[in-house]
Amino acid sequence: MAATDHDDIQPTDARPRLGSITLAALALPGLLNVAHAESAPTDGVISVKLQSYDDRQPGLDRIRVIAPSLYVLAPVASNWALEASLVHDDISGASPRWHSAISGASHMSDHRTAGTARATRYFDRVSVGVGGAFSEERDYRSRAASLDVRWSTPDNNTTLYVGAGLTRDDINPVNGVVENEHKRSNEFMIGVTQAWTKNDLVQLNVGRVAASGYFNDPYKLVDKRPRERDQTTALARWNHHIEPLGVTIRSSYRFYRDTFGIRAHTAAVEGVHPLGERFTLTPSLRYYTQGKADFYYDPVYDPVIGEPYPPGRPRLSSSDHRLSAFGAITVGAKLEWRIDSRWSADFKYERYEQRSNWRLGGNGSPGLARLSADILQIGFSRRF
Amino acid sequence: MASAAGSERSAAPAALDVEYAAGDDAEDHRFRFTAMASPCEVRLAGLPRALATAHAEIAIAEVRRIEHKYSRYRPDSIVSRINTAAGSGEAVEIDTETSQLLDFAAQLHALSDGRFDITSGVLRRAWDFRSARIPTPYALAEAVAQIGWPRVQRMPETVVLPDAGMEIDFGGFGKEYAADRAAALLERDGAASGIVNLGGDLRVLGPRPDGSAWSIGIQHPRAPERAIASIRLARGALATSGDYERFFEVDGKRYCHILNPATGWPVQGWQSISVVAPLCVAAGAMSTIALLHEDAAPAFLASQQVAWLGVDQNGEVVRHGLSA
Repeated sequence: MAATDHDDIQPTDARPRLGSITLAALALPGLLNVAHAESAPTDGVISVKLQSYDDRQPGLDRIRVIAPSLYVLAPVASNWALEASLVHDDISGASPRWHSAISGASHMSDHRTAGTARATRYFDRVSVGVGGAFSEERDYRSRAASLDVRWSTPDNNTTLYVGAGLTRDDINPVNGVVENEHKRSNEFMIGVTQAWTKNDLVQLNVGRVAASGYFNDPYKLVDKRPRERDQTTALARWNHHIEPLGVTIRSSYRFYRDTFGIRAHTAAVEGVHPLGERFTLTPSLRYYTQGKADFYYDPVYDPVIGEPYPPGRPRLSSSDHRLSAFGAITVGAKLEWRIDSRWSADFKYERYEQRSNWRLGGNGSPGLARLSADILQIGFSRRF
Repeated sequence: MASAAGSERSAAPAALDVEYAAGDDAEDHRFRFTAMASPCEVRLAGLPRALATAHAEIAIAEVRRIEHKYSRYRPDSIVSRINTAAGSGEAVEIDTETSQLLDFAAQLHALSDGRFDITSGVLRRAWDFRSARIPTPYALAEAVAQIGWPRVQRMPETVVLPDAGMEIDFGGFGKEYAADRAAALLERDGAASGIVNLGGDLRVLGPRPDGSAWSIGIQHPRAPERAIASIRLARGALATSGDYERFFEVDGKRYCHILNPATGWPVQGWQSISVVAPLCVAAGAMSTIALLHEDAAPAFLASQQVAWLGVDQNGEVVRHGLSA
């Protein structure tokens, strides 16, 4: 019976023996074969972010947006979660230059306040979420509601998602071009996420939005767009974890088409690299290409009027560069810093550049000025 | 649409304060963290890192949930709410989980002949282990007068502490309960090999991937950096109580934090007792109750039909049901 280091002793009987205290312990909830409510959050989160968006065209600093935002997630009871966010944008800058030859630019300034709220109820393997959102600008008011249901298989390898939403917008441009116009859209989305192997997660989503109402840009001289716009989106994602490197690669492809005639493709890839125990670096690359809307016209510079005008008098027309054919590349990196058990910080920089001749499989819309933007974001979050 | 933004956010895993131990094998992953003021570890073998990480995060979140819910240091915990209402006559509503833990505490009180009492934490007011002073008889008597599980008024969904100053404390089994809950979640998710270790109270999920048992060192009660023995466990739980966690010595006599609720005095007789049981919460309760039995510990543990290892007052190892 002498005390020695590392006696190698084993239970003589591998079967559990049950005394009365062990039996009492077996009555405790959830110690054996726990039936656990599907991942209701147990920690609250509050995060504050400041984002700056700054874009420019050759010889022209255009729009600068400074947007502070607040996000709160609060678990309530054991199977409810409430989320809310608030963002305030201050926007100032020049209106976009459609055509490289135009030298003047009118200035704009606006601000926007937007918020969302969402409640999620977690059941066994099913969660149901109800959300609402609002956005207020001087001339544009938006209200939205959503409902979604998620369902996971017993092995948690497959999750199905069905969501629906409704948005109602009121448009009252300050120049009085129209008064009290509306836009209404109904949205439906369905998706499936599958754990394919232990290191691969794949996701497929299809979404459809049917919208009607006022789509014109009231601040453009000639801008007449259809009053109906149906959009279809298909998204595929693949996350792959490379074990020997500890790196996760997230890739995605998105196809978009709408009844304005726009077809767009987005391919994106990012790599999540842990750096030591407290930092994570995520470089990212995204390529976007789109074909023009059916009624988009390439602006023609008129030396007298000085603004681009559509040729002839078409029923529908717009020279909004967002409806043109172009390609765009975004390169960026995000650094996350886990300061301690409660606090974390992140810092993100992205550079966006859009050029008409970067369009995939053909030239983009001619005469469009190159557009580039810097996006900086700094954020802090705290768990409670 | 709000739901689209929501889905983006929920795709990101919650950041947990977990240290990924350096140098672990390709399929033996150790996730270290601190909870309940103890160094803790979830160790998972035979799984790729991504899956092990996902499982460990769920288990660690469960430990933190229990810590938050039952910590007496958090004013919003259920334990604090019950204690704050002591003497007010207010019946504090409790949920099913808390109610079942209180039922377990009641059974431990009965099965230990009153030695295990979750109202005995008030002795803390008399014993200050930092100042290393033996309390005055008056201070001790005053604290002992506040103790008494039988006085707690229990209904299935409410609890009343009748006297101001009374307290309950789940410190006697909260950590072990968390280890069992975390292990149960890992088992649910299919983790078959690994250990949940919360400050030395641990639950083994299953043997190593090659089928062999884990070797678990038992801390030397007088030399914290050394193991005095090791126990091989393929499944089940192991918990240790000892006189070395908090103590002071006066005139060569050791006063430890395991206090007899009837007298208010520290127990004597064993440096530590480790118990092997199917559940950590049972092992932890039995190791503490065994120390409270002092010389009668072997008889008590025999009545519970468990394997155990004790280090007696002279530092000698005693084992029962564990082969050398």
